[in-house]
Amino acid sequence: MPYSLYDWNEAIQQRNEYVEDRLKDGSPVVAVSYEDGILLLSLRGAQRKVFEVYDRLIMGALGKQSDIESLRLAAVDVAHKEGFERSPDDVSIQRLVGFSLSPAIKRVYNDQQSVPLTLRAVFAEMDRTPDTDHFFVLGYDGEFEAQQRCAVAAGTPYAEDQAEEFLREASPATLDDALRAALTAWGIGRSRLAPKAADEEGDDFDPLSDRNDTNLKMADDPAVAIREALKDKATVEAAILNRNSARETKFRLLKDADLEAVLAEYR
Amino acid sequence: MLRFSEGRGDFAALIGTRSPESGGADALAGPSAFGPARLPVTTNGPDNGLASGEVHGTTVIAVKYRDGVINVGDRRATGGFSIMYDKAEKVLPLDDYTLIAISGSFAKAMEVVRYLRHAFRYYERSQLQPMSLDGKLSELGRVIAGNVMAAMNGIGAFIPVLSTFDPDANEGRIFFYDGMGARFETSEFGAAGSGSTQIRGIFEYIAKVKGPWREMDRDTALKEALTLLEIAADLDAATGGSSKVLPLAKTITADGIQDVEIDTIRNIVKEINGTEPYAVQPV
Repeated sequence: MPYSLYDWNEAIQQRNEYVEDRLKDGSPVVAVSYEDGILLLSLRGAQRKVFEVYDRLIMGALGKQSDIESLRLAAVDVAHKEGFERSPDDVSIQRLVGFSLSPAIKRVYNDQQSVPLTLRAVFAEMDRTPDTDHFFVLGYDGEFEAQQRCAVAAGTPYAEDQAEEFLREASPATLDDALRAALTAWGIGRSRLAPKAADEEGDDFDPLSDRNDTNLKMADDPAVAIREALKDKATVEAAILNRNSARETKFRLLKDADLEAVLAEYR
Repeated sequence: MLRFSEGRGDFAALIGTRSPESGGADALAGPSAFGPARLPVTTNGPDNGLASGEVHGTTVIAVKYRDGVINVGDRRATGGFSIMYDKAEKVLPLDDYTLIAISGSFAKAMEVVRYLRHAFRYYERSQLQPMSLDGKLSELGRVIAGNVMAAMNGIGAFIPVLSTFDPDANEGRIFFYDGMGARFETSEFGAAGSGSTQIRGIFEYIAKVKGPWREMDRDTALKEALTLLEIAADLDAATGGSSKVLPLAKTITADGIQDVEIDTIRNIVKEINGTEPYAVQPV
């Protein structure tokens, strides 16, 4: 059967729509540098959402759990193989994402016979200072962007931009600042999925107006989004890479006690 | 499509060294393990002007004390009759709560340490739970067992002492191994290396005369352990004393692994020897 350019375009379009539709409702993942390290934060249901990849690498993603799991295991595999066979110093986020994960995801995306991976992932690599930390956001089509200081994976590119802009402005210094900023950024990434275009009467355009489920409609207020999520029994999951730790393991999942002061404001 | 391993957190499988016949025992044995020829340990062949053959680490000691475990090791590495290196580190962390003290072939031991560090972490990171203590001990036993053929051929033999802090029992634990990979838990102390046999009875003597090791405070236990090391250095040519370079000590407690401050070690060594070490280099 002849295959026209139009079919090909259409096919790509449909794949994109399929994935983006499913990503929209995901819980964003927020990564931000602060003086003593990097914080990675998200809100989740039952499954873990933020992960240690290697000594100085962490990741988190939104999307289908099984796809995230495949990506996570692939990242852990590649990092450990390289770290053992060469040196831990040679395991970098740029090599991991750029040369191992991105091409693999791209292959799946390009294969019309398979379902594309439904995910959007944040990778962070801790360096000696916040200015030299590295962040990557990796998409379902294998495309990725490098960033400094912070990175967010959210349901839409617009939501990501909004959340990142907020984090850049906040530029947190302490872990406490970082937690507050990251949680607000999560709320922004969750609630501001598309720009509000004011119409002639001055009413705000509701980007979620096409949804039937009224529960999903949220005000354009990050605090409301956070409160809603916490009310729905979502758990805040946050992990840090500690720059100044004398321990072998720089990664630490924060405990409830570490989060309580920040969360109390939303309860 | 993206996956490379079987998803069991099996690092040996990931790096492709676990063969089905050995059940994984050859994780690190390498090709030399089954090589036909017996490699000469000492030769007149090319060397680096210091030594021929393998470099060996010598005496390491692990003892319990009130808050956990102390590991001390001398700093000497020998090759044949030469002292190759006087700043060797033989007590190495495998993770936040596990120390391995190595004796025997330096090359093999360092490879094993690298392997275990990755194996434990790979398991924890991929499986999202830490490897159990028993799992870690078995992994080390497997590696030693996989090394038997090479060791019998005269290369790469090494004997470790593994120390850890058991949060359930809230106490330190010490394990030692034989050359075949059998694992034994000691109640209070363990040692390995060429100087360890000479001092074995002293551990018992100290426990009988001064009370159990597990009841000593850190600096008391440290002083006894460093004294033992000093005696080993006197009785064993391959064990380095503390007159030139200070020994190193690490502790494991409920709070994890810590280096004993070099000033504390210097003061204790001064008390033991009655003299200041003449060339104390930092680390």
